Amino acid sequence: MLCDEVLEAIEPIAAGDLTPDQTVAAHLASCASCRAALDRARDIERMLQARAAPAAPPHFTSRTLARIRRDEWRRDQLLDAGFNTAVATLVLAAVAGVWLVMHQSGIVTVSNDAVGLIEMFIVVVARRIAPELPLYAAATALLAVTVGVWWWAERDVTNW
Amino acid sequence: MEPVNERELVERCRQDDEGAFQELVDRYKNLVFAMIARTVQDRSRIEDLAQDVFLRIHRGLPYFRGEARLSTWIYRIVANVCAQARAKAPDQVSLDDERSAAVMPSGADPQFADIELRDRLEKAIARLPDRQRLLIAAHYLQGVQYEDLADALRLPLGTVKTHLYRAKRQLRRLLETELK
Repeated sequence: MLCDEVLEAIEPIAAGDLTPDQTVAAHLASCASCRAALDRARDIERMLQARAAPAAPPHFTSRTLARIRRDEWRRDQLLDAGFNTAVATLVLAAVAGVWLVMHQSGIVTVSNDAVGLIEMFIVVVARRIAPELPLYAAATALLAVTVGVWWWAERDVTNW
Repeated sequence: MEPVNERELVERCRQDDEGAFQELVDRYKNLVFAMIARTVQDRSRIEDLAQDVFLRIHRGLPYFRGEARLSTWIYRIVANVCAQARAKAPDQVSLDDERSAAVMPSGADPQFADIELRDRLEKAIARLPDRQRLLIAAHYLQGVQYEDLADALRLPLGTVKTHLYRAKRQLRRLLETELK
Protein backbone atom coordinates (compact mmCIF):
# COMPACT_ATOMS: atom_id res chain seq x y z
CA MET A 1 0.00 0.00 0.00
CA LEU A 2 1.21 3.48 -0.89
CA CYS A 3 1.84 6.17 1.73
CA ASP A 4 -0.41 8.61 -0.22
CA GLU A 5 -3.39 6.29 0.19
CA VAL A 6 -2.83 5.99 3.93
CA LEU A 7 -2.21 9.71 4.36
CA GLU A 8 -5.64 10.34 2.79
CA ALA A 9 -7.18 8.37 5.66
CA ILE A 10 -5.06 9.86 8.45
CA GLU A 11 -7.52 12.59 9.51
CA PRO A 12 -10.63 10.36 9.59
CA ILE A 13 -8.63 7.80 11.62
CA ALA A 14 -7.37 10.47 14.03
CA ALA A 15 -10.92 11.82 14.45
CA GLY A 16 -12.20 8.33 15.26
CA ASP A 17 -14.50 8.35 12.22
CA LEU A 18 -12.62 5.51 10.52
CA THR A 19 -11.12 2.36 11.93
CA PRO A 20 -8.00 1.32 10.00
CA ASP A 21 -8.41 -2.03 8.28
CA GLN A 22 -5.69 -4.66 8.40
CA THR A 23 -3.82 -3.33 5.35
CA VAL A 24 -3.71 0.23 6.68
CA ALA A 25 -2.79 -0.96 10.17
CA ALA A 26 0.03 -3.06 8.73
CA HIS A 27 1.32 -0.10 6.73
CA LEU A 28 1.20 2.17 9.76
CA ALA A 29 3.13 -0.39 11.75
CA SER A 30 5.86 -0.54 9.15
CA CYS A 31 6.05 3.08 7.90
CA ALA A 32 7.57 5.55 10.35
CA SER A 33 6.60 8.56 8.23
CA CYS A 34 2.89 7.65 8.10
CA ARG A 35 2.92 6.74 11.80
CA ALA A 36 4.42 10.16 12.60
CA ALA A 37 1.74 11.80 10.47
CA LEU A 38 -0.95 9.92 12.39
CA ASP A 39 0.62 10.96 15.69
CA ARG A 40 0.68 14.57 14.53
CA ALA A 41 -2.95 14.33 13.37
CA ARG A 42 -3.93 12.92 16.77
CA ASP A 43 -2.05 15.76 18.51
CA ILE A 44 -3.96 18.26 16.38
CA GLU A 45 -7.25 16.48 17.15
CA ARG A 46 -6.46 16.56 20.87
CA MET A 47 -5.50 20.25 20.77
CA LEU A 48 -8.58 21.16 18.78
CA GLN A 49 -10.78 19.37 21.31
CA ALA A 50 -9.01 21.12 24.17
CA ARG A 51 -9.00 24.46 22.41
CA ALA A 52 -10.16 27.26 24.66
CA ALA A 53 -13.71 28.43 24.06
CA PRO A 54 -13.79 32.02 25.33
CA ALA A 55 -16.93 32.73 27.33
CA ALA A 56 -18.98 35.86 26.83
CA PRO A 57 -17.88 38.67 29.17
CA PRO A 58 -19.97 39.66 32.20
CA HIS A 59 -22.87 41.99 31.37
CA PHE A 60 -22.86 40.77 27.77
CA THR A 61 -26.59 40.01 27.98
CA SER A 62 -27.53 43.41 29.42
CA ARG A 63 -25.34 45.23 26.91
CA THR A 64 -26.85 43.22 24.05
CA LEU A 65 -30.41 43.91 25.23
CA ALA A 66 -29.59 47.62 25.57
CA ARG A 67 -28.24 47.64 22.01
CA ILE A 68 -31.37 45.90 20.75
CA ARG A 69 -33.56 48.50 22.52
CA ARG A 70 -31.52 51.30 20.93
CA ASP A 71 -31.86 49.63 17.56
CA GLU A 72 -35.62 49.28 17.99
CA TRP A 73 -35.90 52.91 19.10
CA ARG A 74 -33.93 54.04 16.03
CA ARG A 75 -36.07 51.90 13.78
CA ASP A 76 -39.24 53.33 15.37
CA GLN A 77 -37.89 56.85 14.87
CA LEU A 78 -37.12 56.08 11.25
CA LEU A 79 -40.57 54.55 10.82
CA ASP A 80 -42.22 57.62 12.40
CA ALA A 81 -40.17 59.99 10.26
CA GLY A 82 -41.02 57.95 7.17
CA PHE A 83 -44.72 57.91 8.09
CA ASN A 84 -44.79 61.68 8.77
CA THR A 85 -42.96 62.40 5.52
CA ALA A 86 -45.39 60.16 3.66
CA VAL A 87 -48.42 61.92 5.21
CA ALA A 88 -46.98 65.38 4.47
CA THR A 89 -46.24 64.32 0.90
CA LEU A 90 -49.77 62.97 0.51
CA VAL A 91 -51.33 66.17 1.88
CA LEU A 92 -49.18 68.29 -0.42
CA ALA A 93 -50.01 66.05 -3.34
CA ALA A 94 -53.72 66.27 -2.51
CA VAL A 95 -53.64 70.08 -2.27
CA ALA A 96 -51.65 70.31 -5.49
CA GLY A 97 -54.07 67.88 -7.13
CA VAL A 98 -57.14 69.86 -6.06
CA TRP A 99 -55.55 73.09 -7.20
CA LEU A 100 -54.62 71.52 -10.53
CA VAL A 101 -58.15 70.18 -11.06
CA MET A 102 -59.65 73.59 -10.19
CA HIS A 103 -57.22 75.31 -12.49
CA GLN A 104 -57.87 72.88 -15.34
CA SER A 105 -61.66 73.10 -14.96
CA GLY A 106 -61.75 76.92 -14.73
CA ILE A 107 -63.06 77.00 -11.14
CA VAL A 108 -60.05 79.06 -10.08
CA THR A 109 -61.00 81.78 -12.59
CA VAL A 110 -64.61 81.76 -11.37
CA SER A 111 -63.54 81.99 -7.73
CA ASN A 112 -61.20 84.87 -8.60
CA ASP A 113 -64.17 86.67 -10.20
CA ALA A 114 -66.30 86.00 -7.11
CA VAL A 115 -63.62 87.48 -4.83
CA GLY A 116 -63.45 90.57 -7.08
CA LEU A 117 -67.23 91.05 -6.88
CA ILE A 118 -67.22 90.82 -3.07
CA GLU A 119 -64.42 93.40 -2.89
CA MET A 120 -66.38 95.76 -5.16
CA PHE A 121 -69.53 95.32 -3.02
CA ILE A 122 -67.63 96.19 0.16
CA VAL A 123 -66.13 99.30 -1.43
CA VAL A 124 -69.53 100.53 -2.71
CA VAL A 125 -71.24 99.99 0.65
CA ALA A 126 -68.38 101.76 2.49
CA ARG A 127 -68.63 104.76 0.15
CA ARG A 128 -72.40 105.07 0.71
CA ILE A 129 -72.14 104.75 4.48
CA ALA A 130 -69.20 107.14 4.96
CA PRO A 131 -71.19 110.49 4.65
CA GLU A 132 -73.87 109.27 7.11
CA LEU A 133 -71.32 108.01 9.66
CA PRO A 134 -71.69 110.95 12.23
CA LEU A 135 -75.48 110.43 12.23
CA TYR A 136 -75.10 106.67 12.95
CA ALA A 137 -72.50 107.46 15.66
CA ALA A 138 -74.86 110.00 17.36
CA ALA A 139 -77.79 107.54 17.25
CA THR A 140 -75.59 104.80 18.77
CA ALA A 141 -74.43 107.21 21.54
CA LEU A 142 -78.07 108.24 22.31
CA LEU A 143 -79.09 104.58 22.52
CA ALA A 144 -76.17 103.84 24.87
CA VAL A 145 -77.13 106.80 27.18
CA THR A 146 -80.80 105.67 27.28
CA VAL A 147 -79.84 102.12 28.23
CA GLY A 148 -77.46 103.50 30.87
CA VAL A 149 -80.14 105.70 32.49
CA TRP A 150 -82.62 102.82 32.45
CA TRP A 151 -80.05 100.56 34.16
CA TRP A 152 -79.31 103.30 36.77
CA ALA A 153 -83.06 103.80 37.55
CA GLU A 154 -83.81 100.11 37.83
CA ARG A 155 -80.74 99.08 39.83
CA ASP A 156 -81.35 97.20 43.16
CA VAL A 157 -79.91 99.44 45.90
CA THR A 158 -80.51 96.82 48.65
CA ASN A 159 -77.53 94.83 47.32
CA TRP A 160 -75.15 97.65 48.20
CA MET B 1 -31.78 22.30 24.83
CA GLU B 2 -35.06 20.40 24.60
CA PRO B 3 -36.80 21.08 21.27
CA VAL B 4 -40.14 21.72 23.01
CA ASN B 5 -38.58 24.29 25.31
CA GLU B 6 -36.85 25.79 22.31
CA ARG B 7 -40.17 26.19 20.50
CA GLU B 8 -41.78 27.71 23.58
CA LEU B 9 -38.88 30.11 23.97
CA VAL B 10 -39.09 31.17 20.32
CA GLU B 11 -42.86 31.64 20.65
CA ARG B 12 -42.44 33.80 23.75
CA CYS B 13 -39.76 35.85 22.00
CA ARG B 14 -42.12 36.38 19.09
CA GLN B 15 -44.69 37.78 21.50
CA ASP B 16 -42.17 40.49 22.46
CA ASP B 17 -41.42 38.89 25.81
CA GLU B 18 -38.13 40.58 26.70
CA GLY B 19 -37.52 38.07 29.49
CA ALA B 20 -37.70 35.26 26.95
CA PHE B 21 -35.20 36.96 24.66
CA GLN B 22 -32.91 37.54 27.61
CA GLU B 23 -33.13 33.79 28.33
CA LEU B 24 -32.26 33.07 24.70
CA VAL B 25 -29.21 35.35 24.86
CA ASP B 26 -28.12 33.70 28.11
CA ARG B 27 -28.46 30.23 26.62
CA TYR B 28 -26.52 30.91 23.43
CA LYS B 29 -24.11 33.72 24.30
CA ASN B 30 -21.14 31.51 25.15
CA LEU B 31 -21.57 29.39 22.04
CA VAL B 32 -21.88 32.44 19.79
CA PHE B 33 -19.02 34.22 21.51
CA ALA B 34 -16.72 31.19 21.29
CA MET B 35 -17.49 30.59 17.62
CA ILE B 36 -16.76 34.21 16.76
CA ALA B 37 -13.68 34.37 18.95
CA ARG B 38 -12.30 31.28 17.21
CA THR B 39 -13.09 32.55 13.74
CA VAL B 40 -12.39 36.29 13.76
CA GLN B 41 -8.84 37.58 14.11
CA ASP B 42 -9.65 41.02 15.47
CA ARG B 43 -10.11 40.49 19.23
CA SER B 44 -11.62 43.95 19.71
CA ARG B 45 -14.56 43.12 17.46
CA ILE B 46 -15.69 39.85 19.01
CA GLU B 47 -18.28 41.31 21.38
CA ASP B 48 -19.57 43.70 18.75
CA LEU B 49 -20.01 40.85 16.27
CA ALA B 50 -21.63 38.63 18.90
CA GLN B 51 -24.11 41.43 19.58
CA ASP B 52 -24.71 41.70 15.83
CA VAL B 53 -25.66 38.03 15.83
CA PHE B 54 -28.27 38.53 18.56
CA LEU B 55 -29.54 41.68 16.85
CA ARG B 56 -30.13 39.62 13.70
CA ILE B 57 -31.75 36.88 15.73
CA HIS B 58 -34.09 39.43 17.31
CA ARG B 59 -35.00 40.90 13.94
CA GLY B 60 -35.30 37.49 12.30
CA LEU B 61 -37.32 35.63 14.93
CA PRO B 62 -40.69 36.70 13.48
CA TYR B 63 -39.64 35.01 10.23
CA PHE B 64 -38.07 31.92 11.83
CA ARG B 65 -40.33 29.08 10.68
CA GLY B 66 -38.91 26.48 13.01
CA GLU B 67 -38.05 24.05 10.22
CA ALA B 68 -34.47 23.87 11.47
CA ARG B 69 -33.35 23.79 15.07
CA LEU B 70 -32.84 27.19 16.66
CA SER B 71 -29.16 26.40 17.25
CA THR B 72 -28.72 25.48 13.57
CA TRP B 73 -30.28 28.77 12.55
CA ILE B 74 -27.98 30.59 14.97
CA TYR B 75 -24.87 28.85 13.54
CA ARG B 76 -25.98 30.04 10.11
CA ILE B 77 -26.26 33.61 11.34
CA VAL B 78 -22.84 33.39 13.01
CA ALA B 79 -21.38 32.07 9.74
CA ASN B 80 -22.87 35.01 7.82
CA VAL B 81 -21.71 37.59 10.36
CA CYS B 82 -18.18 36.14 10.36
CA ALA B 83 -18.08 36.06 6.56
CA GLN B 84 -19.18 39.70 6.39
CA ALA B 85 -16.65 40.71 9.05
CA ARG B 86 -13.95 38.97 7.07
CA ALA B 87 -15.01 40.71 3.87
CA LYS B 88 -14.95 44.12 5.57
CA ALA B 89 -11.57 43.69 7.23
CA PRO B 90 -9.43 41.05 5.56
CA ASP B 91 -6.62 40.15 7.86
CA GLN B 92 -3.51 38.10 7.43
CA VAL B 93 -1.85 36.15 10.14
CA SER B 94 1.53 34.68 9.44
CA LEU B 95 3.09 31.70 11.06
CA ASP B 96 6.30 33.68 10.79
CA ASP B 97 5.10 36.15 13.39
CA GLU B 98 8.20 37.19 15.32
CA ARG B 99 6.64 35.98 18.56
CA SER B 100 6.50 32.43 17.25
CA ALA B 101 9.42 32.43 14.89
CA ALA B 102 11.58 30.34 17.13
CA VAL B 103 10.90 26.67 16.61
CA MET B 104 10.83 24.61 19.80
CA PRO B 105 14.41 24.09 20.90
CA SER B 106 15.43 20.51 21.54
CA GLY B 107 15.20 19.55 25.17
CA ALA B 108 12.76 22.35 26.00
CA ASP B 109 10.13 21.95 28.71
CA PRO B 110 7.34 19.72 27.25
CA GLN B 111 4.70 22.01 28.78
CA PHE B 112 6.29 24.96 27.01
CA ALA B 113 6.47 22.92 23.82
CA ASP B 114 2.75 22.24 24.07
CA ILE B 115 1.98 25.93 24.55
CA GLU B 116 4.23 26.72 21.62
CA LEU B 117 2.47 24.12 19.49
CA ARG B 118 -0.95 25.48 20.47
CA ASP B 119 0.17 28.97 19.54
CA ARG B 120 1.35 27.74 16.15
CA LEU B 121 -1.86 25.81 15.71
CA GLU B 122 -3.89 28.99 16.31
CA LYS B 123 -1.85 30.79 13.70
CA ALA B 124 -2.21 27.90 11.28
CA ILE B 125 -6.00 27.96 11.83
CA ALA B 126 -5.97 31.68 11.05
CA ARG B 127 -4.50 30.84 7.65
CA LEU B 128 -7.28 28.46 6.69
CA PRO B 129 -9.98 29.54 4.23
CA ASP B 130 -13.02 31.14 5.92
CA ARG B 131 -15.35 28.18 5.64
CA GLN B 132 -12.80 25.67 6.91
CA ARG B 133 -11.94 27.94 9.83
CA LEU B 134 -15.60 28.29 10.75
CA LEU B 135 -16.08 24.53 10.51
CA ILE B 136 -13.10 23.93 12.80
CA ALA B 137 -14.37 26.62 15.19
CA ALA B 138 -17.88 25.20 15.36
CA HIS B 139 -17.19 21.48 15.19
CA TYR B 140 -14.99 21.48 18.25
CA LEU B 141 -17.51 23.35 20.39
CA GLN B 142 -19.31 21.12 22.81
CA GLY B 143 -22.36 19.44 21.36
CA VAL B 144 -22.00 20.65 17.79
CA GLN B 145 -22.37 17.64 15.50
CA TYR B 146 -21.54 17.13 11.83
CA GLU B 147 -25.28 17.11 11.14
CA ASP B 148 -25.78 20.53 12.83
CA LEU B 149 -23.04 22.03 10.69
CA ALA B 150 -24.41 20.45 7.52
CA ASP B 151 -27.85 21.94 8.28
CA ALA B 152 -26.47 25.33 9.22
CA LEU B 153 -24.26 25.67 6.17
CA ARG B 154 -26.77 23.92 3.88
CA LEU B 155 -24.11 21.45 2.80
CA PRO B 156 -24.33 17.67 2.42
CA LEU B 157 -23.02 15.78 5.44
CA GLY B 158 -20.22 14.19 3.38
CA THR B 159 -19.07 17.62 2.18
CA VAL B 160 -18.85 18.90 5.74
CA LYS B 161 -16.72 15.92 6.76
CA THR B 162 -14.53 16.30 3.68
CA HIS B 163 -14.00 20.03 4.39
CA LEU B 164 -13.10 19.24 7.99
CA TYR B 165 -10.62 16.52 7.03
CA ARG B 166 -9.07 18.82 4.43
CA ALA B 167 -8.81 21.61 7.00
CA LYS B 168 -7.06 19.32 9.47
CA ARG B 169 -4.75 17.94 6.77
CA GLN B 170 -3.88 21.52 5.89
CA LEU B 171 -3.18 22.27 9.56
CA ARG B 172 -0.98 19.19 9.84
CA ARG B 173 0.99 20.18 6.75
CA LEU B 174 1.38 23.77 7.95
CA LEU B 175 2.66 22.63 11.32
CA GLU B 176 4.96 20.00 9.78
CA THR B 177 6.42 22.57 7.39
CA GLU B 178 7.00 25.02 10.20
CA LEU B 179 8.56 22.48 12.54
CA LYS B 180 10.94 21.02 9.96
